[in-house]
Amino acid sequence: MKRIKRKARAAEFHTVKRIDNSRLVRNVEPAKLQKLWRTVAMGSMVAAFFMLYIFQHFRCIDLSFQLEDLKAQHMKAAALNSELRLEIAGLRNPMRIDVIARRRLGLTQPLPTQVQDYEAPDGAEVAAARYVRPNRAP
Amino acid sequence: MPEARAHLRLLIIAGVASLWMGAVFGRLTYLQLFRHSEYLARAQRQQQRTIEITPKRGTIYDRNRSPLAMSIQVDSAFGVPAEIADEQLATRLLSGVIGKPQEELEARFESSRSFVWIARKLPPAKAEAIAALNLKGVYLQKENQRFYPKRDLAAHVLGFVDLDEKGLGGIEYELDNQIRGESGKIVVMEDARKRWFDATQAKLKSGADVVLTLDEKIQYVAERELDVAIAQTHAIAGSVIVMNPNTGEILALANWPKFNPNRASDAPAEARMDRAVSALYEPGSTFKLVTLAAAFNERITRPDEVFDCENGSVLVAGHRIHDHKPFGMLSVAQVLAKSSDVGAIKIALRLQSPRFYDYIRAFGFGAPTGVDLPGESKGLLRPLENWGSFSIGSISMGQEIGVTPIQLIAAVSAIANGGLLYRPHVVEELRRGDRVLPAEGVLTPEEPRRVIRPDTAATLRRLMEGVVLEGTGPEARLDGWTSAGKTGSAQKIDPATGRYSRTHFIASFTGFAPINNPAITILVSLDSPVGLHEGGEVAAPVFKRIAEQVLTYLDIPRDVPLNPKLIQAAYKKQAAGDRSALEDFSTVDFSAQPDSPPPAQKPAKGERRPGREFNKPPATVAVEQGGEIEVPDFSGKTMREVADISLKLGLDPVLVGSSLATKQSPAAGAKVRRGARITVQFGTTLEKNSKPRQGNRN
Repeated sequence: MKRIKRKARAAEFHTVKRIDNSRLVRNVEPAKLQKLWRTVAMGSMVAAFFMLYIFQHFRCIDLSFQLEDLKAQHMKAAALNSELRLEIAGLRNPMRIDVIARRRLGLTQPLPTQVQDYEAPDGAEVAAARYVRPNRAP
Repeated sequence: MPEARAHLRLLIIAGVASLWMGAVFGRLTYLQLFRHSEYLARAQRQQQRTIEITPKRGTIYDRNRSPLAMSIQVDSAFGVPAEIADEQLATRLLSGVIGKPQEELEARFESSRSFVWIARKLPPAKAEAIAALNLKGVYLQKENQRFYPKRDLAAHVLGFVDLDEKGLGGIEYELDNQIRGESGKIVVMEDARKRWFDATQAKLKSGADVVLTLDEKIQYVAERELDVAIAQTHAIAGSVIVMNPNTGEILALANWPKFNPNRASDAPAEARMDRAVSALYEPGSTFKLVTLAAAFNERITRPDEVFDCENGSVLVAGHRIHDHKPFGMLSVAQVLAKSSDVGAIKIALRLQSPRFYDYIRAFGFGAPTGVDLPGESKGLLRPLENWGSFSIGSISMGQEIGVTPIQLIAAVSAIANGGLLYRPHVVEELRRGDRVLPAEGVLTPEEPRRVIRPDTAATLRRLMEGVVLEGTGPEARLDGWTSAGKTGSAQKIDPATGRYSRTHFIASFTGFAPINNPAITILVSLDSPVGLHEGGEVAAPVFKRIAEQVLTYLDIPRDVPLNPKLIQAAYKKQAAGDRSALEDFSTVDFSAQPDSPPPAQKPAKGERRPGREFNKPPATVAVEQGGEIEVPDFSGKTMREVADISLKLGLDPVLVGSSLATKQSPAAGAKVRRGARITVQFGTTLEKNSKPRQGNRN
């Protein structure tokens, strides 16, 4: 570095130089600008492609998890359905119904003569039958 | 210059950043391009798991699609000993839950380090308890377990399975390949938390569902009545088969002793035996049907031809044969009705051995029927060339030949349906989803084979009706339907002496109803009943009870009027504890039932406990079954006369119109109760009253 020769101190006057560059207009080059935007667009497309690829990859995995979850729920529901069908089949066991009917409800097996084909009678006979029922001694 | 320094710093930073990015990029390129396959394989090994899937065993339904056997998933506990930190603690906790000795579990854990079963197919409570222990190295896995929700209903037909759901008896064994299906594999991908995110499954062939010809309600009726008969007669075994004679479909097949297929391993082997298809016995008098069928078909005799039954004793080829009663001259119809052995032998001698043998084989004896149940015996019939001098006599009365109940009912069904021998079967179809699978193998349908002419069958049906009406089987007479059959009381061979026992019999009754268009054929067989041992005494009542219930259930129209005497007796003698009037109707004695009855009333000492039906007057009896007062004929009478007569009888008259009585309801002759309303119409035109109907009108 050059050594600055020190002179005798003199009075310093500072002036502010105002620079007005407003009348200066930067020369815009359209071609360069186009190139710039084209580059940005292509870059964005490439970036978007890769983003989309990555997104759908992980989305697939996420959906696979959900699908397997739903399959598991479906299997659980099917298993529950089977268990309930089994329970219904057990409740419909003829022996169980028979025992409940006879011992708990006090029902009896109808005699052969009590199971009859019903022929539609004319009105007078039906009236008589209805009348008799309430009057019968318990 | 300061700018130069700043520029240099920037260059250095840029250079370092570029180097770093280059290194990262290079490493990524190396890993993903050059070592791609290696890491892919490692990832697959880590994430991929192959699981073997055992298909759910097909469900077995009755003909109305009511499930009789089905599989559901239950938990089984297994351990990976290599992962268990404290085996002592684990085995102690597990033994407390599952109830197995700790030493047994410890021995299992020592046998393998990778996989041991702790307990298979656990009840839900125990599985939850094991899961709650949260032991490392102890896991739960789903397995299929077979359940029989109707317990011992149709146990011998259904069969049972072992722990690995392999069929070991009945339909489970016979159609094991179809019901079981084919196992497959699932390849799953799981993450670090063992959650699945991908799964590919090879096509799984699920087990086929089986639809049987059995009707669970008819099956229950048959089993219940057999239970009652066994309890009453103290027989050591018994069988009941109900069959549709027009198709060969078996509607019910019951054996005693029986077992619960949910706990088949607890039952003795004799209880698991399907006697209906496996047990051989000498059919006794029932076999006279074959003798007569052959004779009629060959036109060597007629129902009205008379034979001399030699006062109940005949000597043939050095053998003295006695009838159970000293019969004199009997028509062929009476030979069957009264079950004369002498008469049957004489008919068979006229038939001669070769023709008789051909008919025996034609009726299916000496060969399997082809029923789709395992363990069927072909019976015992000596070849014709091995028949002795008296074989024709023995066989004509049902000795020296062994038959199974299924063979016998198939033969009787051939008589019932007009002469066609159908293959008895219990499987109606196989289904997979909504698709009916083609029948193959043992399920291949067979055309029926004609064994006798239709007129021969009709003749035999008439004669068999005679057995019920005036022969040895009056207990088989049904209320409301015609019935026909044949009793059998065959002596068993005493194994100690090798001779026929005088105390042990096979009592049987085989019959069908109604006669003109038989809907069902029923065979009842009781082995060694104590006390009464004749087929007509112990087996025929069982036939009656089953037939009446089944015919009612199937809604078969009645072809005989109901006996009014029975109705009256049922209504009048209704006092609790008095069973005498209703002994004719006793349907079921529930003292044989496992549950104890409610303490409604205690019987007097020494008296049998009355059935439940006597504790309350049945509400519908009076309505349906008429009353004590016979309605007089009011035709032509004045209103005053009608009112006087009605009031004297205790009836409630409703008088409509004027002049003389023309019409009345109920009709004259009907039975009504005291206080019943009688409607009488009056007018100028006299109308004929209709014939009084049976039963009530009030």
